[in-house]
Amino acid sequence: MTRAFLRNKTYLVPLLLLLVAIGLNYYLQPNFFQPRVLNGNLRVMLPLMVLAAGQAIVIIAGGIDLSVGAMVSLVNVTLVTLITRESGPPEMLLGAGVALLLGAAAGALNGVCVAFLRLQPIVTTYATSFLFSGVALIILPRPGGSLPRALTTFYRSAPLGIPATAFGIVVLLLLWVLLRRTRFMQNLYAIGGSAAAARASGVRVALNSFFSYVAMGVFAALAAMMLTLSTGSGNSRLGDAMTLPSIVAVVLGGTRLAGGRGGVVGAVIGVAILTIIRNLITFANVPTWYQTLFDAVIILLALAGPGIVRLIRERKA
Amino acid sequence: MANPSTPPRSPAAPLREPVVSVRGVAKRYGAVRALESADLDIRAGEVVALLGANGSGKSTLGRIITGITKPDAGNLTIDGQSAHLTSPAHARRLGITAIYQELSLVPDMSVAENVWLGHEPMRLGGIDRRAMRENTAELLANFADVFSVPVTPDTVVDDLPPSERQLVEVVKALAWRPRVLVLDEATASLDSRQVDRLFELVRNWRDQGMALAFVSHRMEEIFRVADRAAVLRNGASVGEKLISETTERELVDLMTGGGELAAMVLQERHEDTAAATAPVLLELEAFSCAGVEPLNLTVHKGELVGLGGLQGQGQRQLLLALFGAATHKGSVTLDGHAVLFRNPRQAQRAGVAYVPGDRNREGLLPIRPILENLQLPGWRDYGTPLRLRQARTDANAAVQDLAIKIDSLDEPVANLSGGNAQKVVIGKWLMREPRLLLLDDPTKGVDVNAKAEFYRLLHRLQEQGTTILFHSSDDSELLGLCQRVLVMQDGHVRAELTGDTLDKQHLVAASMGAGVAVSAP
Repeated sequence: MTRAFLRNKTYLVPLLLLLVAIGLNYYLQPNFFQPRVLNGNLRVMLPLMVLAAGQAIVIIAGGIDLSVGAMVSLVNVTLVTLITRESGPPEMLLGAGVALLLGAAAGALNGVCVAFLRLQPIVTTYATSFLFSGVALIILPRPGGSLPRALTTFYRSAPLGIPATAFGIVVLLLLWVLLRRTRFMQNLYAIGGSAAAARASGVRVALNSFFSYVAMGVFAALAAMMLTLSTGSGNSRLGDAMTLPSIVAVVLGGTRLAGGRGGVVGAVIGVAILTIIRNLITFANVPTWYQTLFDAVIILLALAGPGIVRLIRERKA
Repeated sequence: MANPSTPPRSPAAPLREPVVSVRGVAKRYGAVRALESADLDIRAGEVVALLGANGSGKSTLGRIITGITKPDAGNLTIDGQSAHLTSPAHARRLGITAIYQELSLVPDMSVAENVWLGHEPMRLGGIDRRAMRENTAELLANFADVFSVPVTPDTVVDDLPPSERQLVEVVKALAWRPRVLVLDEATASLDSRQVDRLFELVRNWRDQGMALAFVSHRMEEIFRVADRAAVLRNGASVGEKLISETTERELVDLMTGGGELAAMVLQERHEDTAAATAPVLLELEAFSCAGVEPLNLTVHKGELVGLGGLQGQGQRQLLLALFGAATHKGSVTLDGHAVLFRNPRQAQRAGVAYVPGDRNREGLLPIRPILENLQLPGWRDYGTPLRLRQARTDANAAVQDLAIKIDSLDEPVANLSGGNAQKVVIGKWLMREPRLLLLDDPTKGVDVNAKAEFYRLLHRLQEQGTTILFHSSDDSELLGLCQRVLVMQDGHVRAELTGDTLDKQHLVAASMGAGVAVSAP
């Protein structure tokens, strides 16, 4: 009974963690809740939230994607190449369309390799990340480019007193609510839970996991758009540092790394926790590499967790 | 034991056209012939039981009907039309569904999500969770008063015991509204009240016109629920009987081939009376583990004791528990000392060896050289750094001794034939000179010559004083080799066959739980 209760409250632990982190941040930075500071934090969080949402979907289906950072870079340099400071609405729409298609195509490449050719997801996506980075470097050898001022201003704006990025988070969560109601998502949970059982139930396992990677590509493109709006320029290495945090956020949000359990809400909370911890590290005057150490420890714990639990159970038995 | 009372049933209705009809179906797996020529009709409004001993091909036939396996030859017609099933999903579209044994449930998902997986009810472009829950609750109501724990549509499957999971499998099959339902050992993990309820429902479905095929290893259940029995022997259909007009005895005779028996028994059995007077080597008292009910067993030094019955009745679990690979209750005495093995390493040091049936998964490192495979359990005898020359000499001696045909010790095991590979598995334990050898279906997929050689090896080991517990799914092998055979069913030892009772009829009858004293014809 207790287990069922805990399982239904998947997001309870991440939420508690978030509250503790916010409390600490408020203690160290009393102006944390001022609109200007809050807005600044949200602007940093939103791209990673969108990316982690995609990562959560792939991980739920039993996969993982290490090429997400490179995808973000690739889409970012493509955007600043297609859109310049003088661009009007037609170029902007074209840029957005190309960005989404590019993301989907990159995801489809991963999907074909993992789902149809049955290659190991970790190795495959690590390899394709170099491909995507390479192409990004060809498109934009040196950092540069800039977006129309109207776009970047919009990203920083706060219509009705609420930051535009907050609307972004709401839209992301609504999108998840809709996705959760599709057979596609239901199939992904089944595949991550037990691929054999899903197959025996008539679920097309390869096709569905292929589309989980395509979805990941689209989310990466969306994340790249947000990030480009935030920075206003292009850099072929812009997304590199986002891969590990995207996975850590998913894990922090209560999604099981082996698949079958979790959700996007948790990933969004996970990103919030991560960003705030990053703030804390800055305020505490600790070297920033502690952030990476923290990320690594979270992943190791998530990987070791099930094994440790089993060891303890066997000792008792 | 008398036949359990057969429930009142309408007199055999005039035979309808079969919904599913199988004619002359054959299937091979490599060199193994699983089915040679099987015929079966499944008719609406009838329950047909599919019977056969180990290796008769009944599970293969079940898999062909439900689209999991494609036959090599023969015809499958559905509603009078020739059909080539490509997948379970294809069979399901044609109205044929099987109740799987746990295979098809996702542990992390709720009961409702599992039941509707692959055909969730939709509304306004999204999954209609309310309808899903309501429909599931309706189906679960069939079993409401026989659940041993509360089961709701929202219960997570992982939290359910095996019996309730099995019932969820039944509900899941029903959700597809099948015309043809195959129940393959669907009662294996149910308690008696749940079995009663399932049979009640099976009779209702039959009366409503569903066509049902029933596979069970319990003779008693076949007489309770089936209308007709179709018997397979060695991959071929050998007869059909109306249940109302037959007896357990007659069915057992059909399954074993009755009078042909004498010819089938291998003339390898040695009459050594020494075993009975030899000291006791292994003694089990109230020994039980997962899948095995408490049992007592005394084995003398140099004895070869068979473990028989249909496959998967607890024989493997018993051997694994003795080898320390699974936890057990009760006491084990080896050579006069009480022992408790927590892991295979401890068992191995005490002189116990286990030869697994699935040699490629558990017995061998296929891509590594023969030398390494033979010496894997014994490197610590060769010091640091390893005295490789000595290891080679010893391995060569074992190869000579077992007559393993190899070019060189450095060849990978994957290059060897099935029989030779199996000898390497046995060789690696024989080099350690075990006191107790546990064999888990060791001759599966091994050709006849290699088998004969293997039997001679067993006798030699026996003469040297090695005690052997021998599980085999090949009934004639057990009968030919062993002085004593324990027959297991559902984790119980159903019979201990020796002397006059050590024949195929008794073995098959006991493995189906038929208590009738079958005398040889």
